[in-house]
Amino acid sequence: MSGSGGRGGGGCSIRAIWILNSLDAVVFSRRFPVVEKRWRTACRSENEKVTENSLSYSVFSLFPSDSELAAAFVERKQREGSARGFGVRVSQSSVGSDSWVDDPITRHIIGLYINKEEEGDNNLLWPLILHIKGNYCILVLPLLEPRHVKAYARLCQRSDCGNAVGADESLSSLLLDLPSITGAFMVAHAIGDIVAGDAVEPEVLVSASPSVGGLLDSLTGSIGISGISSRAKPVAAPVASSIPSSAAVTGAVAVDAPKIGSRPLDKDSLRTFISSSMPFGTPLDLSYSNISAIKVNGFSSSDLPPADLKQPAWKPYLYKGKQRMLFTIHETVHAAMYDRDEIPDNISVSGQINCRAELEGLPDVSFPLTGLNTAHVEVLSFHPCVQVSEHGADKQAVMFSPPLGNFILLRYQARCGHGPPIKGFYQLSMVSEDKGAFLFKLRLMEGYKSPLTMEFCTVSMPFPRRRVVSFDGTPSIGTVSTTEHSVEWKIVSGGRGLSGKSIEATFPGTVNFAPWQTQRLPSSRSFLGSIADEDSDVETENSNNMVNMEEFIMEKMINNLPPVDLEEPFCWQAYNYAKVSFKIAGASLSGMSVDPKSVSIYPAVKAPAEFSTQVTSGDYILWNTLGKCPSAAAEKV
Amino acid sequence: MFPFSTLLFLWFLSMFRNRCCHPTVVLRIRIRRTSNYNYKELRRAMAFLLESPQVLTACGMVEFMAVIIPMAIALELQASMLKVQFFGMVYSYDPMLCHVVLKLYLSFYDAFDGQEVEIARRLMLISKEAQSFLVFRLLALHWLLGLNQLVMSGKGDKKKKPMAFDLMGLSFYPNVFDPLALKALKLDLLALCMESLKSKSDSEMGDSVEKVFEDGIVSVSAYKWLPPRSTETAVAFRAFHKFLIGGSSHFDTDPSTTTAIMESTIFHSLQLVPVIVAFVDRLLGCQKHCWLGERLLQTFDENLLPKVVMDYKLASCFPLFDRIAENDTIPPSRLLELLIKFMVFLVEKHGPDTGLKSWSKGSKVLGVCRTMLMHHHSSRLFLRLSRLLAFTCLYFPDLEVRDNARIYLRMLICVPGKKLRDMLNLGDQLLGISPSPLSSSIFNIQSPRTSNNIKKSRNISSYVHLDRVVPLLVKQSWSLSLSTLGVDSNKPGYLEGIRDSESPVEEREIDGSAEIHIPETETINQPQEPLRVMDSKISEILGTLRRYFSSIPDYRHMPGIKVRISCTLRFESEPFNREWGVDSSASGLDRVGALPAIYATVLNFSSSAPYGSLPSYHIPFLLGEPPRNDYASHQQVPLDIVLVENGNGEEESFRAPVMIELEPREPTPGLIDVSIVTNAENGHIVRARLHSIPIGIEDMFLMATVPSDIPKEVIPGYYSDLFSALWEACGSSSNTGRETFLLKGGKGVAAISGTQSVKLLEVPATSLIRATERYLAPFVVSVIGEPLVNVVKDGGIIRDIIWKDVASDSSLVDTTSVASFDRGPLHLTYFDDEDERDSVVSTSKRKMGCFLILIFLPPRFHLLFQMEVCDVSTLVRIRTDHWPCLAYIDDYLEALFLA
Repeated sequence: MSGSGGRGGGGCSIRAIWILNSLDAVVFSRRFPVVEKRWRTACRSENEKVTENSLSYSVFSLFPSDSELAAAFVERKQREGSARGFGVRVSQSSVGSDSWVDDPITRHIIGLYINKEEEGDNNLLWPLILHIKGNYCILVLPLLEPRHVKAYARLCQRSDCGNAVGADESLSSLLLDLPSITGAFMVAHAIGDIVAGDAVEPEVLVSASPSVGGLLDSLTGSIGISGISSRAKPVAAPVASSIPSSAAVTGAVAVDAPKIGSRPLDKDSLRTFISSSMPFGTPLDLSYSNISAIKVNGFSSSDLPPADLKQPAWKPYLYKGKQRMLFTIHETVHAAMYDRDEIPDNISVSGQINCRAELEGLPDVSFPLTGLNTAHVEVLSFHPCVQVSEHGADKQAVMFSPPLGNFILLRYQARCGHGPPIKGFYQLSMVSEDKGAFLFKLRLMEGYKSPLTMEFCTVSMPFPRRRVVSFDGTPSIGTVSTTEHSVEWKIVSGGRGLSGKSIEATFPGTVNFAPWQTQRLPSSRSFLGSIADEDSDVETENSNNMVNMEEFIMEKMINNLPPVDLEEPFCWQAYNYAKVSFKIAGASLSGMSVDPKSVSIYPAVKAPAEFSTQVTSGDYILWNTLGKCPSAAAEKV
Repeated sequence: MFPFSTLLFLWFLSMFRNRCCHPTVVLRIRIRRTSNYNYKELRRAMAFLLESPQVLTACGMVEFMAVIIPMAIALELQASMLKVQFFGMVYSYDPMLCHVVLKLYLSFYDAFDGQEVEIARRLMLISKEAQSFLVFRLLALHWLLGLNQLVMSGKGDKKKKPMAFDLMGLSFYPNVFDPLALKALKLDLLALCMESLKSKSDSEMGDSVEKVFEDGIVSVSAYKWLPPRSTETAVAFRAFHKFLIGGSSHFDTDPSTTTAIMESTIFHSLQLVPVIVAFVDRLLGCQKHCWLGERLLQTFDENLLPKVVMDYKLASCFPLFDRIAENDTIPPSRLLELLIKFMVFLVEKHGPDTGLKSWSKGSKVLGVCRTMLMHHHSSRLFLRLSRLLAFTCLYFPDLEVRDNARIYLRMLICVPGKKLRDMLNLGDQLLGISPSPLSSSIFNIQSPRTSNNIKKSRNISSYVHLDRVVPLLVKQSWSLSLSTLGVDSNKPGYLEGIRDSESPVEEREIDGSAEIHIPETETINQPQEPLRVMDSKISEILGTLRRYFSSIPDYRHMPGIKVRISCTLRFESEPFNREWGVDSSASGLDRVGALPAIYATVLNFSSSAPYGSLPSYHIPFLLGEPPRNDYASHQQVPLDIVLVENGNGEEESFRAPVMIELEPREPTPGLIDVSIVTNAENGHIVRARLHSIPIGIEDMFLMATVPSDIPKEVIPGYYSDLFSALWEACGSSSNTGRETFLLKGGKGVAAISGTQSVKLLEVPATSLIRATERYLAPFVVSVIGEPLVNVVKDGGIIRDIIWKDVASDSSLVDTTSVASFDRGPLHLTYFDDEDERDSVVSTSKRKMGCFLILIFLPPRFHLLFQMEVCDVSTLVRIRTDHWPCLAYIDDYLEALFLA
């Protein structure tokens, strides 16, 4: 890799940042002249090389104005069907478009063709990191070498049917070669959090009070401003709020869908953040809490660390005050429950250990992680402050120099150590076009012992494409309510949770829908639209030969289903299912735990360690046993 | 203090940045220049930085590494030191730190020997982290792909395993809840694993690839029933593509694994046809993989076609059929059989409410046939396609479909394959659309490009030729145009030819009871006729004539007697190409293919002469004549021989026979003007006039009609009798002069008004006999006189006539009065030289015999020759009931016998 340490490719510098609103107008832009100058220089030398090699085209070295960029963005949006684009090559993909490259990541790393009058048409501006947050599209343009842009231009101009995996010149090798793209994503996400205003710190639970404030709290606490909480407590904000994958609710687009309303752009805080986190276009620290803490507090002489200690980047201030350590395990359970012989149920747990270390000085903390095997922990990823030693098979010692405030110490993926918290089946059968009979038979917390407590449990049957008119039936336990597009069954609710015993819940009933109306799709959304264009001759001979009522209804339902985004796991609306939401406290489901007694601190101080767990449901889906369901081949290890 | 440490570091960084050239180079130069001391200092500075990685944020680490790596290379630091210090970062959940490790690995892959698996496993696990943002999970998989690629492409040393996919390959199966983007990339990796597996083990891998593909695709199996535009479908087909082309790179020669994948169940759904078609198109459009597309189509042809269910839904498969039809590596028989069955199905199912359906489906079938015509050799298609088209022409309920089928059938039969393909292709180009299977209007009307270039059109006659097959004996340069005589309104009877029987009105009135009233009509007519002295001979003649005339059609009321002139149409390639810009260089190898062609030629005829209506003549296809020199060299014969009138068989293929049909109202020579409308290959419509075709009097020569009730064996006798009767009737002293004869149909009547003439031909008997045999043989009804009979009989050309000795035919001797010829005053006028005259007279006296020749001139006239043949001269007595023809006969006879 001779060129890997080159000027542009090795480091991470940002040429420019744009933020576009939902009307595709640029509402914020920032360019970095220092980086731009480097880019021009690189282009010049590259283009000189080009003339020697008598290659005809050169790299677009100029910088687009805001309006040019907005125009190019709109043009791409039209060409590629949506702001993100098709992602894979479809019949509408045109040569030169991102989707021509046929890779889903082109929905995140996009190229724009800037039309400059003096430069001629179609100057490729690549790579633009596209991050959509709320109503805003954030575009970040990292610096790289002109040859990379050329390589990409070749990729999206290639005339053949597409790249084989592992071919010589590919997007993969470009991405591997370019940490600046990775860095630009980090920048984009950091800016996205600020734009959306949800730059929350991970939640740490304490037994006494529901949660503990973050860095600023500890700072203000330590500085001595008592009684002022500098930041609102995240009221029941689930851990998932910063985690995209678990936020998918009944097929709503997780990433693209605006979660918050039109919140005015806080340009001042954005400018401040950009100028201090990436001076001259080179990102230094993207931690919003660190940056704002430094901005609020500045540095005083008392903050100077002891000379013999190296103060890490993640701990700009030292803590002073009562010492303690808090650990919280957050787990999210994803499950696909089939109740079928041929498809095994699939339960997975994604968890993280959040930590807050209120320790004076710069101590090292260590504790052993045990039971990794029994917990079937697959993946372990750590905070940069953790010094990772060799992985043991079953044991993993964690040693870290904790930063200030709440942080995610580690993340893991595991299988469910216990049985599934909710077992059973859901059957829905359409007895007529507008009436469905359903039956739940569930067992909750089977084999779960105290202190595992289910705080609440709700089952909802979403019918996003039907309007629920009424329902009939009484559950063996709990209460039922309906909304326009769903039926909610609260099995466990209120103050008293379910602990130390298992219960069985059944719910037979019927649900009536408003008559089915064919919804025409807005054609712009169609994904493979034109090739599937209605062939008027395709017969729909459904008069008598449709034996199965259910199939007939299903066919009618799915016929005009819009294609889902590539960020979705499947087309949710094509299935009937019940989604379970619950919260379990007391222990982790994976078996992962931290023994407060075995936490050791060096240099030794007496600091109590507290440990808590919280398990919530992610996509916990009971597929309709009588209908279609998505599945995947069982993983073979 | 972190910001300051980072800033310090940044300063350090910018030291290199400002150099604007590669830091490694800078360092190397500097190190060479610096003393040992400096070198040590640098190493110490490095050691400090390396010891304290925690002073850097993740971003700082990226920058740091970007600078440290080239420095470490320049300083020749132990890479293992870097590894120990930084490798742990790969377990961080910060993607930037992971990436830093990867960069380190890329720079010092030797130091990481044995840890590829760990790195690969780690990357794979990152992709499984549900907490991470999707894009970082995607990035992790991309890095894995990129690493593998670098290793494979030999950047590392050859011993290295390609990221040890075999160890973990199968853990790339997508999870149910993986976003589709991630599923797509995981399927990519599965394909890659399969490939790396394949490259080491061999035979039984085929099955397992298919198995892996099937298992992998389960995660997007909803493509089977979701609408074809669904994202699941797109991902499934993307994976299929990757598996196919991934598998192909190693198995170009033995595509067994590929076939195994192809036969998978992915294609068993009708609704996916548009997607499959798009997919096939994509493969076919790629130079490298178009064989896969073909292979796929072959698989469909072999496995899918026998399984289709015959119903109206089959129409949704038509885009696919179109692709199969387009591909000439697939024998069309299976598809054609299927289409035939489908056509039969359509015909059988046709009912009152299926009209539109039948039309649409039938048109689509024809669309596929058209595609086949365009892409296959006609010989391959001919049998089945002609069956299909013929069936359609005959039985299909929809008229348009029938018509189109007929057109295709006609083209299939008439136009050679190459030209046909060019022609159909051209149609597509002109329309500016590719043959879209979905458009129902397969039979678009071409927008014709009519050429307005008059100059071009004028020149056409110099290289497009319409020639008579048999040239005229007389180069007729004039014709007697009777309309110029100024008697148009009051034409004499002989010019009018036929007039109505006198009382057509009455006839029509009494039509209902013809039996009774016909005698009445005759009695009414009788007073207007002269009183006639009827002897038995005359009545016999009249009987013969009445019978004869009643078999002559009356052209005013029924199709008249036609004269057919055979011609040939040909055109010269070179000037044609020059004028009409047809690219002839397209296929130089194929001689026929290189020649231009004209299509759907229509020849229109017109004439000022009274030839009735002249039907136009249609020629579907004609090739141009090869250029002379090319042609000559090809034939290995000198040029002048090629130019000889009757070329050999090869030449015939460049000539189209043309038949001009005249229905003369009057037997007169004239000119037929010819105009041509034809289509050049490039769609130009060529309109022009060609040289006129001369019609001579000899073209009018026909055999007299024979009433249908005459047995075949007595026809010679009939002709002989007819000759006598007509001869008599045309004589000046005829008693039949005012007799009228009813023509066929009973409405028109003809009268005979005879004229006679003589012509002395001073030619030896032998040459006269030869000329007669050659040109007039069919018209000879009788030969009289033993010497002549003997000669003619020996010739064997004139047959089935009446042979007579002079003595035996008294009547003829009487009427013809052979002896009287000698007293003819003509000799005196023609020959003044006594000696010569003597000799002539003396020789002429040696008579050989007599030809009796009966020629019918349409519409109802006759020309009778009585040729008295002597050794050195022949006297031709001519009688006719149409005197104007004598004007031409003179020339004709001279040309015939004297030339």
